[in-house]
This record gives sequence, C-alpha cells and structure tokens, in this order.
Amino acid sequence: MNLAIEIANLTKDFGNIRALDNFSLNVNSGEIFGLIGPNGAGKTTALRIISTLILPTSGTVKVFGYNVVQSAADIRKIITYLPEEAGAYRNLSGREYLEFMAKFTAKNKDEVHALVKEATEICGLGDRLKDKAKTYSKGMKRRLLVARALMTKPKLAILDEPASGLDVLHAYHVREIIKRYVREHSVTVVLSSHNMLEVEYLCDRVALLNKGKIVADGKPQKLKEKFGSANLEEVFAKVVGFA
Amino acid sequence: MLKGFGNFLLKELKELMRDPKILLGMIILPMLMFPVLGAVMSFSVETAKESAGKATALVVNHDTGAGSAQFIAYLNSSLRVYPVNVSTVNDAVPMLSSYNATEIIEIPSDFSQNVTDRVSTSVKFYSLYSGAGMLEGIGSSVVDGLVQQFNRNLAPDVVVQEKSTIIKGQVVDVDPRILATLMLSQAIAMPITMMILLSYSMQIAATSVAMEKEEKTLETVLTLPMDRFAILMGKLSGSVIIAGIGAVAYMIGFNYYLGSFSGMIPAGGSVDMVALGLVPSLFGYLLLGISLFVTLLSALALAVILSAFAEDVRGAQSLVGYIYPFVFIPSFALMYLDINVLPFWLRMVFYAIPYSHPIIASKAVAMGDYLTAGLGIVYVTAFTVVIMYVASRLFATEKILTAKLRFRRLGRQKKASSAE
Repeated sequence: MNLAIEIANLTKDFGNIRALDNFSLNVNSGEIFGLIGPNGAGKTTALRIISTLILPTSGTVKVFGYNVVQSAADIRKIITYLPEEAGAYRNLSGREYLEFMAKFTAKNKDEVHALVKEATEICGLGDRLKDKAKTYSKGMKRRLLVARALMTKPKLAILDEPASGLDVLHAYHVREIIKRYVREHSVTVVLSSHNMLEVEYLCDRVALLNKGKIVADGKPQKLKEKFGSANLEEVFAKVVGFA
Repeated sequence: MLKGFGNFLLKELKELMRDPKILLGMIILPMLMFPVLGAVMSFSVETAKESAGKATALVVNHDTGAGSAQFIAYLNSSLRVYPVNVSTVNDAVPMLSSYNATEIIEIPSDFSQNVTDRVSTSVKFYSLYSGAGMLEGIGSSVVDGLVQQFNRNLAPDVVVQEKSTIIKGQVVDVDPRILATLMLSQAIAMPITMMILLSYSMQIAATSVAMEKEEKTLETVLTLPMDRFAILMGKLSGSVIIAGIGAVAYMIGFNYYLGSFSGMIPAGGSVDMVALGLVPSLFGYLLLGISLFVTLLSALALAVILSAFAEDVRGAQSLVGYIYPFVFIPSFALMYLDINVLPFWLRMVFYAIPYSHPIIASKAVAMGDYLTAGLGIVYVTAFTVVIMYVASRLFATEKILTAKLRFRRLGRQKKASSAE
C-alpha cells in the first residue's frame, strides 16, 4: 500500500517549549487517520507541519514522497488544510468564497463551476450560499469550510478538529460528509480531535498523542481490545496512567 | 446609577490599560509626539523669523541724493543690503545667488527729491520665491515693518511699496503676499494628503493581515498552491487601491475646503499659476506620482510586517501607531519649514525618514528641481526594496504565523534581572 505520509523522528520546538518529541508515524493512502489527544498534546503542530505551514526543528516529514522542507510547493498542489476554528471571509458570500478557493486549482471557468457545484452539494447550504459568510452560524460556516477542503478531491485532506464546537446535528452532518467523500473519491484524510468517540466512529487508524509523543497507535478496535477498554477515552486514560 | 456599570468599566479599563501595545501606541506615543511637534513648529517659526531678519537684499539705486543713502542705511540696520551697480532689475536678478540674497530693492531716480518734498515715492521690492513653505511670507512682512518705521520718522506714506516676485529668475508682477496665499494650498495639501493617505492605508493593510490571522483564513491561504509573494503583493495592492480611492475623495473635499478661503486673496489677486510656472510640469507630476507610490508601498510593507507580530486586529492597529510619528512630524514640519535652512543634522533626520520625501518632492518639482525629487525616489525605493524583502521573507516562513511581540516576557526579564 502507498504511504500518504511518512514521519520519522519529528521534533518541533517553539523557543523552550517542545511541542513534538521524536514523533514517528506512517499514514496509508486512502485511509482516515486520526490524531487524538488532549489540548496541547501537539496535534495541531503535527498537522501544521504536514500542511507545510511550519517547519520541523528536526526529523523528516514526507507527503506522497515529497519532503515538507524541500518540496513544500509540490505538496500544496495535492493537499487541502482545514484549520481548527477557521473562518471564511466575512464580506464574501459563501459562493464567492468557494469560487475564490476553486480558482487556485481549477484550470478554467468550467472547472471552477464544477468545483463550486461539488462544494454546494457537499455543504448542503443551498440558497444560503448567496449570503455573506458573516451571517452564517458556526455550523454553517464549518460545513462551508469542510466542503471547500473536499471539493477539489485532494490526495490528502488535513482536517484539524473538523467538528469542533458544533452541536450534535451539525457535527453528525460534517462527519457524514467526510466519511462519504473518502469512500467515493479515495481521498486520504488526516484529522485531529480531542473527541475520541468521534474519532472512533470516523477513523480507520488512530495515534494517541500526549505531550508531543505518540503513546499508542493502531485500529480503534485493536486498541480497545489490547487495553481491555470499552472506548478510546478509556484507552487513552490507561495509556497515560490516568486510570 | 446603572447597575453593574462601575464594575464593567473597571474591567474594561484594566483590560485596555494592561495591553502594553495600547498603552504605548495610544497614550505614551501621542504624549511624546505632540511635544516634539510643538518643538518643531516653534523651531520653524523661529528659523523663518531669523532667516528673514538676516535677509540679504540687493539695491538698484537710480537716485544719487542723500535721501536714498539715508533709506539704504536705515534698511541696513536690520537687513544686509548690498548696492549693485546695474541699470535694470533684470540685470540684478542673476546676482541674487552669488550674494545669497532674497530681495531686490529698486529706488527711483527722484527718491531724494520726493522725500525732501514729502511727496509719495514708489520703491519697488522684488521678493525671490523659493517655494519653501507656509512661512515664506515672513521675509516680506519684515520689509513691510521696516518701511513703516522709516515712514514714521519722516511722514506717513512717503515711501510707498510696489511689490513684485521673482520666480525661477523671471520678474513677475505679482505681490508675494498674494502668491503666498495661493501657494498655501500647495504647502498644506501634500503634507495633509500624506498623513491621511499613509495612516489610512497602513491601517487597511495591517487590519487585513491581522483579520486573516484572527479568522485563521491566513493559515488556509498559506497552504494553497500559490506563490506566497503573490499573497503579499495582493494585500499591498488592495490596500494601495483602496487608499488611492480614499485619497482622491479626500483631495476633492479638501480642494472645496481650500476654495472657501478665496476671500482671503486681496482684491485684484487673480494670478495664473500655470503662466507663473508654479504648477509642476508633466515630468514633475510623474516624479511626484512615483515618489508617492514608492513611499506608500514602503509604508504598507512596514505595516504588514508589524501586523505579523500582532495576534489580532486591535494589536495590529496599535503596532501601526508606532509609525505615525514618522509620518506626522515631517508632514507638520515641512508644511512650515524650508528644509534647506535647517541645521545639517536635522536636515539629515528628515531626509532619512522616507515619508518626508513626497512632501520634499512636491515643493521641488513645483520649482523645477527634479534632482532633489529623483534622489528622494532612489532613496525611498532602496528603503522599500529592503522592507519588501523583509516582508516577503516573513511570508515565506512560519514567522508570519508564529511571530509575536512579547512585552510581558520582556517585562518579566527586566524584573528578574533587577531582582538579581
């Protein structure tokens, strides 16, 4: 199986603070991979490095064979990144926002229209796409942004807390979008979440992060069996010695 | 009393006052800036008075009597007066620069006779126009005072002044006071335009970057398949266009405002500025436009760099406030001052501030001095290239996301070192 992401001995320091500590990980092509852990565990830092936003202090990170340090521009052509709690441009309508984003990858106007049409179906916002983004609820905004991240059918979609702060129904909708899209278009997804139940539902494999280190990884079912736990929350508590 | 108002106000004040960026940008900087501005203004007026008092005048004396000798001696008590042996004023004009003189006084042949007879006699005063600034008319008023005093010693209205102006080596029959009133619009318009244009556009640029950081749209944009320099240029160009539209709207309003002062121009003061050569040529306008553009670009790039160190819009606006003194002080000062009469070190300070140059250029091109404008453009362009390079490096690296000004940490370090 092709590797979508290869991370070897990754360390990231911000001044005196070590955010990632000798972190190694492989993600297979076409799977949904979850990074889970509490706030400050290093999930967002790892995703930002994979998405070429920040550089590693040491170690190597490759995305479909491209090194994030030497080939960042090549990586940006095949990924999309959805930051945690990101917003859309307040004074653009949802449709204008999607068109703006589509123009970076589309080769002509027809392709832009096709991408926007795709995103319109993914987000399910209908006529509300004509309204300015500042009038959207948090859930609507998130659906718009998830649609933006998936509409180009990237080889790798990096989603930081995709359902963060959403109510049950909106979170359900967003999870369904991701799952359906990966199934239909063979997109690889790496996502982070501190909601372990969400990850358990969505992900083929997970890595548990604590204080910048991977403390366990594998298929959710296997991890539960290994640690004799009912869910991933319990697994995490046992791994870090909380339970 | 509104219930909870006091408590809420206290919270608000604590939050605002404890933000070091606000404390510095909104309170400490203005407190420092305005005294400096005041000092610059008073220095300007003193300099203008001083240079007027030390003014040098050439005298073309067509009279051979004692009256004119007495008049010249009287003027010599306050001005430096050099009689020149030429037949017409036009012959004296080329001699102004060698004597470093700013006035030519032409005494008629019947001056002594008329003074003796207590009959009015016209003395012609020709003032050199240099486009120095709002205080240019001070020299002319010093001469007025001297003539009045001379008359008081003899009889009222014996010596009557006839005033003309020397512009670019040509004698034109325009009272320098009327010209000064007309040129007021030029002296004020460019500095005020600079202040408004730069402060607005810097706020726009800083806010647009900070807004992207606050809304986390910048993170998304930085992972798109596009050149990061294009992001920077897009931001700068957007701000330039919006600020440019704002500047045009502002100038239209400002012209109406200045037009309302037309009553200040003395009767019969209709003067064709184009005929006088006081309107910049097409080349002059081109130089002025380039000067404005590169200055604007450097200010915007600087605003973008500063806003990269802010976490939100409020922080970015406060940080941009640190640049304002470098915009406001030269603008106010050069409204009044002729940069050429300043001490060398102060002249260098003004030349070093990039935001002085469009104002200097606007005066220079009106007088046909393209070299000064050109050198200014070269300097500001070099400054802009450096700033743009820093800004592009900032956008090319993770610093655009991770850079922060850490006043608190600095404060702690100071406390720790003082405790040790």
